[in-house]
Amino acid sequence: MTAFLELTLDKFIFRVDPACAYTPQGIWVKEAGPVNRLGLSDFLQQRSGDVAFAEVKPAGSILAAGAAFASIETIKVDVDLLLPAAARVVRVNPALGTAPEVINQDPYGDGWLCEVEWQEKPQLLAAAAYFEQMEKEAREEHP
Amino acid sequence: MTPPRKVMVIPCSGIGKSFGTVSRVAAYQVVEEDRPGQTQLVPLALLVTGDEESRRLVAENPAVAIDGCKLACASKMITQSGGQVAREFAVLDVFRRYREFKPEGIAELNAGGEQLAAALAREMDAVVDELTGEEGGSHA
Repeated sequence: MTAFLELTLDKFIFRVDPACAYTPQGIWVKEAGPVNRLGLSDFLQQRSGDVAFAEVKPAGSILAAGAAFASIETIKVDVDLLLPAAARVVRVNPALGTAPEVINQDPYGDGWLCEVEWQEKPQLLAAAAYFEQMEKEAREEHP
Repeated sequence: MTPPRKVMVIPCSGIGKSFGTVSRVAAYQVVEEDRPGQTQLVPLALLVTGDEESRRLVAENPAVAIDGCKLACASKMITQSGGQVAREFAVLDVFRRYREFKPEGIAELNAGGEQLAAALAREMDAVVDELTGEEGGSHA
């Protein structure tokens, strides 16, 4: 069982998976063999709200650094999810088409978005550094 | 002669959320316009505060919950009040069926929100007909 880094603020608990690296936007990256799996951090999914629709670029797409590899439409906002480095999409989570709520239910597990092969090395935050950034943002939003 | 049972409609009480407002607009549409003779609105707040009459109505009649978010307060309060959820509507699920009707606004919904509420009300009308054994078209 994963021992998450946790931040409790008011009624909210935000978890950070220490086994992942992160982009400043809150995309987690986990090595899974030759590919890297991507998803939304717990903080980003809670901040965005219940996901109504999730769309990910199809397998085979080659995208530049900073390009949107996915987008989510929630009850609050529409969010483009950006790649930290150029990559090729290898696989998309098939569950997202019929049950996008899995992103909210299990952001670090079954709610993964896609798997990619990097075309260049991404600059990512270690879990502890992301936790620090997240805590700062969360405390600003929930003073 | 025993009067026919009414369907109790319990919408989300979420204030400050578009999806909560959609649930209430749809509830009023059904209870006041579409099926006034077959339905009755029970405010969620009365169930939360333990109002005896509201609890009795929910316990003795079919109850339809309209939940504005995954917390599902309406469904939970029906159960905690001794009733059974005859049908649950989650506004998010309805939105997934009508993506073109994106709700915005709180006190006043945008056009998308009004359309989503109307779509939800139509689905509820069908459920009310099913629960009361009525067919569409016999409602004044």
